[in-house]
Amino acid sequence: MSASLSSSRWRSMATTAAVALTLLLGAAAGCDSRQEPDLPSVQEKLRESHIWGQSVLRIGVADDEPLMGEVRNGVRFGFDVEIARYIAASLGYEGEHRVEFVTVSTEDRIPALQGGVVDLVVSSFSITEERKKQVNFAGPYFVTTQEVLVPNRHRGAIRTIEDLRNPEYKICTSGGSTTEAELEKHKVPTLVVKDVWDCVEGIRAGKYDAVSSDETILAGFVARYPKEFEIVDMPFGTSELLGVGVPIGDPALCELVAYFLDKSYQQGRNGEASPWQTAYNQTLGPWLRSEKRQPQPLEVPKLVDFDDKAPRR
Amino acid sequence: MSTAPATSGDPDADRPAARLPRPAVPLADAPQPVSATGSKAPATTSAGTDVGLDPAERRARASQSFWTAVVGVPAIFSVLRLGIEAGGELQTTLLLVANVGPVNLLAGFLTTAARLLSTVLVAVFALGGVLAASGRQLGRQPLFARWAEIMPSWFVAASFLMALVTWPLLYLPLLLPAMAAAFQLRPERLHEHPVVRALIVVVVYAGYLWLLAPTLGEAWQQGEMLPIALLAVPPTLALFVAGPLPRMVVRALAPMTQLAVLMMLVWAALPVISTPVLPLTVTTVGEPDATSAVATEEIRGHVVTTDDVNMVILQERGGVRYVPVDQVRGQVLCPSEEELPRYQLRIHDFHVEDSLLEGLGRRVRPVHRVDAACR
Repeated sequence: MSASLSSSRWRSMATTAAVALTLLLGAAAGCDSRQEPDLPSVQEKLRESHIWGQSVLRIGVADDEPLMGEVRNGVRFGFDVEIARYIAASLGYEGEHRVEFVTVSTEDRIPALQGGVVDLVVSSFSITEERKKQVNFAGPYFVTTQEVLVPNRHRGAIRTIEDLRNPEYKICTSGGSTTEAELEKHKVPTLVVKDVWDCVEGIRAGKYDAVSSDETILAGFVARYPKEFEIVDMPFGTSELLGVGVPIGDPALCELVAYFLDKSYQQGRNGEASPWQTAYNQTLGPWLRSEKRQPQPLEVPKLVDFDDKAPRR
Repeated sequence: MSTAPATSGDPDADRPAARLPRPAVPLADAPQPVSATGSKAPATTSAGTDVGLDPAERRARASQSFWTAVVGVPAIFSVLRLGIEAGGELQTTLLLVANVGPVNLLAGFLTTAARLLSTVLVAVFALGGVLAASGRQLGRQPLFARWAEIMPSWFVAASFLMALVTWPLLYLPLLLPAMAAAFQLRPERLHEHPVVRALIVVVVYAGYLWLLAPTLGEAWQQGEMLPIALLAVPPTLALFVAGPLPRMVVRALAPMTQLAVLMMLVWAALPVISTPVLPLTVTTVGEPDATSAVATEEIRGHVVTTDDVNMVILQERGGVRYVPVDQVRGQVLCPSEEELPRYQLRIHDFHVEDSLLEGLGRRVRPVHRVDAACR
């Protein structure tokens, strides 16, 4: 009798505890469902950035780098331009009337960002420690190497860095580029001009003998003059990480660009057609000697967006 | 399988373990108040309002009050929502009333409020089940217990089914103790032998945890303790939640929980009545030959109606715009910030904040693109 009484009491207590816990969990779930997300959202970051409220996004691109940034029949074309279009559309600026492409030369990229002439720069902009003191970088969105473009008349003659040091050859490069510093490091005497285009025109005019720059830029000139030039693979030993330049005072915009570059990277990893891959296939892909993939962007923030609930598989 | 109480010494042993099937008249073996003469008196209590009412009449009244609440509350909410959506402006409210049909209004309401409605019903039936199981220790059955007893089983089952398909996956485990409470399901029903019973429970629970293991691990890594508790604990509570509560607890629980559900209804109804009736869109407006961004305007709001001349847009920030249809250059559907998820957790690729319906829907239309104009 006492055993059954204690059993009944035990059950009664267990029921009380279970009911109380269920009510507690139900109340916790109710409160929880009304909470805001812990992570910041894309919309919040957009509101923090300096582009919030702007009707047009101004992006600095090159107009003289075939395959990367050029103007064909009045229309901007190139890998950088396509990446810029993807970022602009992700930030809410889609269509030619919402994006203004501003031509920036290699040496004008940092001043254009600092002076507020452009909101972003997507123009073969290598990420370096020195530049990070002046502008923010999101990316990298491409990893390239430094190479040398030689005309057919020097084919076979200029093959090594030692050949570049030969005072007989006039080596050209663009001012303010990482190539200029790299050639200096290897004690290669250079003639510095404004843009790589000037070097190429100079070589065609017989003024210079070779030009050194990023493989992506040089591949564009090979595509433009396939019978006149070839790229010589030289062991400079450094790789160039191309990033999107953002004003240093706008970390929110930098985070957003990194977030959207990572979104494209994740799409590519999942085997989907990513915006990066589409841009690559349309521009650089057929002209590079080896197949490239989108590098993983660095310092990607965790943000919440509307499509976070979409299936991943 | 047995439905018999586990111990003969149980004070409620003479009461059926399960609430179903429920007889239409008071249970013959249920204890009735006995008059001084020793004959069974009608189930009157000290509460003056019910003096003189027989049980059938009381049931009819309880049924009436229940259905009034079930039909009336959504109807009132639907009308209130129009006023809120119109930004409190009388003329705008009238414009909405003129253009949003009652069927659209009700369908829109059900779409956004099905979760709230099923939550309230499940809470009422679960608490009603618990109180009914314990209520015979009190003089008069609490309101929820009476509602739970008069409700046809199909309605209770339909409420649970609606909750099953509309609740976020994260909260679905709470349906188990709620169901055990509403139908007074005890583990004794699984098998009469305690060892076999324990074995069934352990195996089923282990399988459940195995299914959720990746999600629980991810939640642990993210330091999210509430999702772990919400996913892992409720099934164990379902084992103990059925049965009578001590008299002291019931006395406190009955009014408190009824008040709590009422408060929850009000608290949870506020976001529901402020949820828009019409979908959010961004309409690009400009002269037909406009080419620059300055010459076009993007209006964020809800399209009320479109005729041959104008498109009427209720702007998100308030006010109504009549836009000539030949100036409309484009229109896109946009998500709202209330739809942003709180957790980064998935159960086998189903987001924990998606309901079963939403999760299945995303399987049918997996690609979701947020249009640039929505930013």
